[in-house]
Amino acid sequence: MEHNRTEDNKVGAALVVGGGIGGMQAALDLAESGIKVYLADNKSSIGGVMSQLDKTFPTNDCAMCTMAPRLVEIGRHKDIEKITLSEVESITGQPGNFSVTIKKNPRYIDDTKCTGCGACVSNCPTRNTVQPEEIEDIVLESQFDEEVTGILAKHRDRKGPLMPILQDINAAYNYFPENILRYVSQETGYSLAHINRIATFYSAFSLKPIGKHVINMCMGTACYVRGAELLLEKFTEVLGIGEGETTPDMLFTIKPVRCIGCCGLAPVMITGDDVYGKLQPKDIPGIVNKYQAKEQ
Amino acid sequence: MAEKRRIELMACAGTGCVAGGAFQIIEELGKEIDARGLGEEVSIVPTGCNGFCGQGPLMVVIPDNIFYGWLSLDDIPHLVEEHFLKGRPVEKLMFTPPEEKEPLPLLSEIPFFRKQLLIVLRNKGIIDPEKIDDYIARDGYVAIEKVLTSMSPENVIDEVSKAGLRGRGGAGFPTGLKWKIASQQDKTPKYLIANCDEGDPGAYMDRSVLESDPHSVIEGMSIAAYAISSSEGFIYVRTEYPLALKRMETAISQAREYGLLGQDILGSGFDFDIEIRGGSGAFVCGEETSLIHSIEGDIPEPRQRPPFPAQSGLWECPTVINNVETLANLPVIIARGADWYSGIGTETSKGTKIFSLVGKINNTGLIEVPMGITLNEVIYEIGGGIPDGKAFKAVQTGGPSGGCIPSSLIDSPIDFESLKQAGSMMGSGGMIVMDEDTCVVDVSKFFIQFTNDESCGKCVSCRDGSDALLEVLNRISDGEGQEGDVEFLEELAETVKDASMCGLGQTLPNPVLSTLRYFRDEYDAHINEKRCPALHCRNLIQYYIDPDKCVGCLKCLKNCPTEAIMGELKHIHIIDQEKCSKCGQCLEECPPKISAVIKATGSDIDNLEQLPEIVACSDWKTMKIGAA
Repeated sequence: MEHNRTEDNKVGAALVVGGGIGGMQAALDLAESGIKVYLADNKSSIGGVMSQLDKTFPTNDCAMCTMAPRLVEIGRHKDIEKITLSEVESITGQPGNFSVTIKKNPRYIDDTKCTGCGACVSNCPTRNTVQPEEIEDIVLESQFDEEVTGILAKHRDRKGPLMPILQDINAAYNYFPENILRYVSQETGYSLAHINRIATFYSAFSLKPIGKHVINMCMGTACYVRGAELLLEKFTEVLGIGEGETTPDMLFTIKPVRCIGCCGLAPVMITGDDVYGKLQPKDIPGIVNKYQAKEQ
Repeated sequence: MAEKRRIELMACAGTGCVAGGAFQIIEELGKEIDARGLGEEVSIVPTGCNGFCGQGPLMVVIPDNIFYGWLSLDDIPHLVEEHFLKGRPVEKLMFTPPEEKEPLPLLSEIPFFRKQLLIVLRNKGIIDPEKIDDYIARDGYVAIEKVLTSMSPENVIDEVSKAGLRGRGGAGFPTGLKWKIASQQDKTPKYLIANCDEGDPGAYMDRSVLESDPHSVIEGMSIAAYAISSSEGFIYVRTEYPLALKRMETAISQAREYGLLGQDILGSGFDFDIEIRGGSGAFVCGEETSLIHSIEGDIPEPRQRPPFPAQSGLWECPTVINNVETLANLPVIIARGADWYSGIGTETSKGTKIFSLVGKINNTGLIEVPMGITLNEVIYEIGGGIPDGKAFKAVQTGGPSGGCIPSSLIDSPIDFESLKQAGSMMGSGGMIVMDEDTCVVDVSKFFIQFTNDESCGKCVSCRDGSDALLEVLNRISDGEGQEGDVEFLEELAETVKDASMCGLGQTLPNPVLSTLRYFRDEYDAHINEKRCPALHCRNLIQYYIDPDKCVGCLKCLKNCPTEAIMGELKHIHIIDQEKCSKCGQCLEECPPKISAVIKATGSDIDNLEQLPEIVACSDWKTMKIGAA
């Protein structure tokens, strides 16, 4: 030891193996004394077992409250470098001057959680290619085949084809059957995640089947001040379903909409091509009956 | 136009009138006219929106210029026989101003039309929007010919800048300047987009322009495209407007047939064509960067500006986005010159503006008025005042991004600057009139609910800020407002304004801020006295039946949805407050002569509860009318 202390080529750095609560505290204390610290852990994150506990014996202290400040401090400390997912393979040398070989494992993708957004590919500094799994070709059910391939053929070569395609599919089926969306993704090259975001963004689209007659009660300002809310209540009462729901016989869906621009007729309801203006709650059972009678 | 007939019937076929059965009426008119052998003399022209939607279905008889409103199928045989055969106009179908007896037969005499100045809507109700020849007969496509044969793109930009035209979509950005920026970009191709994603609740001027005069928009687009050297245009129409979409498709294919769209227009070497794109029900798509993303097939969220679309827009190319109404102004500006146009309006706001006048007003409909007209003229002269003699309280302009203008500012002129000064904005032109029965807390709540629903969720301040605003507003209107709520609303509203990226978030607190500015006392009444001065907020009101007035007619009792009214024939009726859902049906049902149902709020409720008459009523079986 004597010998070491007088050596000039002493390394001003330390390696802490294990990033549990003990290792974290050691790393912080070392770093605070001006020593560069390497903190290695074989998990993908530091924290160790304590991070999984609620209370600690014997004082019943909150484990996370003990941990969190240290986690944050380590994350921010300029003199602590974390080496996660790593294992110590060999140590050589003597106190004051060790050489350590550390094996760092690669990170991997948890495919149960991945949405296929592709952000990891564009951010990866070493390699920008992916080898996707072999995906089976999606085949459309025969009842959809002709219509959907027709729609795709019609819009495929336009600039920005996705919206027109989705709009036509929505017009044909009133909603998006899952397999069709998968097929569109396969045929157009848009990722399914992207198509899903578009399909759920617009209020005219639905992923669930909706009724034959969609009760579009206008909730625009002019209709609202003239009592559209009462009419909506009456519809839910008469049909026995809530807003956005569909009757079990698949005849009606109640879907309040934003202004349909018939403010002169407020309050207004539109279903399909039929427009009903200057509505009163007492008119509603009659309207519902009319469509029910048509079906019989 | 087809050969002139003795009488032409300009039957409105805009969405409002179609909803009222205009197509059936047109069919019936045709049958009746043929049956009486008038087919050679009388022709029917289905026109676009006439504007006086509150009177629909309606028509105007040319050349007599007689206006008929509220037509029904039963009126047709009588009308055809009397007027078109015998030449005696039918008085009972004419417009009669409320509270007057004598009808006003002539269109030009009706105050609703008299004060208007039609530039954008110059062809409304005069042409058949599905016939290009009608448009051409009214000097249509003259302006594009002038532009292509005698003007350079720079000339066009200068002319429009000189005219002082500002964007009609809401913000009022100078159109000429926008074009100039786009035309200075080196990158090609350049795109032109007509924005018809008119999402503001209570506004429908763009729809009306497309429905009544689609060719003026096509011509306007061609002029704009020439100015910025673009050869590809898009028109983005919201899905809620099927009729407008259909008419636009027809118009575009007609224009292509006539060589007014496509390659080498009018032999000038200028190419331009238009593609229609539909929206799918997302309010935020009216924001220009969001609209661009929607056309591209991307997530329609707005992005940070700059770069402005005029620099880098659709597919990262220079893109000009103009509102439909802005575009429809162009043919007139070019044909009649910038000097004529800039003579209309105020110092900073030139030309006219279309407003949709709706809500609690006698004459609902679409109006085009010169900038600088006062609210007073619009509401009382054109709009005919407030129905049922109620008091005017405020007018909401600019939709969910705008604010309320109180009755004290009724004499202020309508232009971009004065509206902004009053805490509102021009917006796309919705004008929603409110009377004394409208509760401002409820109106703020409605708009915040709207923007909260339509927020795309990109900025936290808009997404969560509107949630928090809504929560407090709900609390206030439910009668659970707390000390400090008003101050909290103010602080939060300012933060949302400052921290949001696009126009939606930056303006969503306006309805709250402007109502707080002018109607703070109403908020205070809700919070401190648990009183809703407009008698609107359900949790703060109760219904009573005045025992002195009730005649025991059973009308309210039978129609009460929750069976909360006790009584029998000729006995005074009483409302069971525990069962009452406060739907107001009893108030509607009680005959106006009797009007025994009263609403009460705040301390009035306690006073009423203690009245001997009301206390005695609790035993209704003894309260036979006339027995005492």
